[in-house]
Amino acid sequence: MSKLDDAAVRAELAALRAALATVAVPMADDETLRARFRAATRESPPRAAPRVTRGGARRYLAAAGVVLAIGTGLFLALPRGAPPATPAATAATGPQPAMASEAFQPLPSSPGFSPTASYSVVRVRIPLASFAVVPGSERSGSIEADLLVGEDGLAHGIRFTGGGAAVGAAQVQ
Amino acid sequence: MRKMSLAEDDATVARLLREIAGGSEQAFVDLYRRCHADVYRFALAMAKSRGFAEDATQEVFVNVLEHAARFDPRKGSARGWLLGCARHVVVDRLRLERRWTDALPEQAEPCQQDERVFTEQRIERLHAALAELPVEYREAVVLCDLAELSYAEAAVALGCPLGTVRSRLHRGRALLGAWLGERAERDEAQAEAAGLPAGEVCT
Repeated sequence: MSKLDDAAVRAELAALRAALATVAVPMADDETLRARFRAATRESPPRAAPRVTRGGARRYLAAAGVVLAIGTGLFLALPRGAPPATPAATAATGPQPAMASEAFQPLPSSPGFSPTASYSVVRVRIPLASFAVVPGSERSGSIEADLLVGEDGLAHGIRFTGGGAAVGAAQVQ
Repeated sequence: MRKMSLAEDDATVARLLREIAGGSEQAFVDLYRRCHADVYRFALAMAKSRGFAEDATQEVFVNVLEHAARFDPRKGSARGWLLGCARHVVVDRLRLERRWTDALPEQAEPCQQDERVFTEQRIERLHAALAELPVEYREAVVLCDLAELSYAEAAVALGCPLGTVRSRLHRGRALLGAWLGERAERDEAQAEAAGLPAGEVCT
């Protein structure tokens, strides 16, 4: 029994590929697409967490336990504080721009998101003073964030909600 | 099935996925306009049914809407991810419709319930043979040879190592080669028996 060799099969498949490219593809109109979008987002808004469950004490502890990891993310995200001011200088930088983001970002050294895993969303408020890394550049205020906590108790992602209080550099005396 | 996009196009698709994850309705419409034909043709190549392809395409984009935030550009290309979503939907639907096959076809005959998609007999036969391949080989052939994904992109779409993609692709092509060769011999024999020129056997 003869059979076609690999090159011949690929040539045949190339012909099938060309034929497929000529097939008329039905297309939904814009209104239908928008209606589909709205219906889907009403039922389950586009979120990073596959499933959201009510937080429990375990998750709050998990949230507290990952503050250091968040600090790393904040350190990288926030603009660096100015060098220590001269004596009697008053920092009047005013509120920093809100860092609202809508999609969860994976945390550094986290295993990322898994499509088969279950996550919880925990809202936390983090004092920015916790993350001062440059002496003299401590910031007042706090920032609100959502943590995506996995079943392993670890935070896998973070999303800043933009609900932070006014942030400004500390007064230097 | 034309090549889905160049690197710039892939960056655009990636951006649209991010915007969809952020709740952008317009990004969803734009992504659909840009990519639905490739998803449809993938489904059509896998299942040989326009109705199936239409339903599957609709489901794929609903899934994209819900899971766009899961796309991670560090793990692969946007088109690989999108066709991976399409692959999940198609495979699930094939299972549900009992059109799944893991076994090697002993007699490679086109499935009677599939519809005729192409008028050219040779192309139609090849499509029918493809639809008879075990699904794991079929999807490798469709992604690499028809959708023209790279091995790396196909590996992302299939969720398997690159070497596995290569071996499934090789096996799929070998099966097609055997089926097509056998079919060609049979046609010649029938043509001789009927006194017709080769290639003019009615099927």
